Amino acid sequence: MTATRHRAGGSKKRRTTLTLPVDSLTQAERIARARKVNLSTVISEAISEGLRVHSALERSEQVFNAYKKAFSGFTDDEMAILEGIILEPASRR
Amino acid sequence: MVDPRSGPFLFDTSAESWLARTQSNWLREYLSLHQLHISAIAVLERSRGYSLLYRRASGDRKESIEARRFAYLSGLGRVWPLDGAVAVVAGEIMALLPDAPTSPRRSHHLAESRAERLSRWRFDGMIAATALVARLPLIHNNAADFEAIRSSIERSPGRFPDLGPLELIRCQLLSETVH
Repeated sequence: MTATRHRAGGSKKRRTTLTLPVDSLTQAERIARARKVNLSTVISEAISEGLRVHSALERSEQVFNAYKKAFSGFTDDEMAILEGIILEPASRR
Repeated sequence: MVDPRSGPFLFDTSAESWLARTQSNWLREYLSLHQLHISAIAVLERSRGYSLLYRRASGDRKESIEARRFAYLSGLGRVWPLDGAVAVVAGEIMALLPDAPTSPRRSHHLAESRAERLSRWRFDGMIAATALVARLPLIHNNAADFEAIRSSIERSPGRFPDLGPLELIRCQLLSETVH
């Protein structure tokens, strides 16, 4: 991996060397030609989208685990209270 | 069966916890596609619940409840505010349906007071109003209250111009097996 850094369009960039599947590279080259942009742009966009999806999935898993924890270990009466149903001993009313 | 891909949905307080405890696969798939949309009122009810349980607990149990409260707050998705539009619609619902359609809840030696039942009923009206304003189907586990609200809105469409109908989805319709 080389380490040439420069700024273009306000975002920091770095030149690197990647080994990609031929099919993916061919498809990216076809898209670049069709859109009249360079190959780096297409690869960069694809990586950004992949990372966005990955981050979203990580976040969704975090939220899922948080919810599982948030509602575990409670009795039915305690769950009722957590749902806004405030039950109290009849004698206190 | 309700496909998670057909979301997003607004989740009533009764639905979030029911899903987390009984329909894990559905919830996991939903969360991979959408944020969990809830009303600020649901956060209020939940926050109050955790606080009450915390105050009643002692020792290690307090820490455990506090950890669960933090977990809940860390997982919050899109929280819809009780803003002017929601307040107007909620006011209409409360005027149409001043009294709760069912009696206070009872459980063995425990009971819900009439005042608590009324406030819970009003909170349900605010959550239904949020769903109408957000134009999101409302997933719930409280058919008695929300079906009453839906019917009332359908009988008075003129009071809810450009809104409605209130689209309701019962938790029981969310199948564990989704593909």
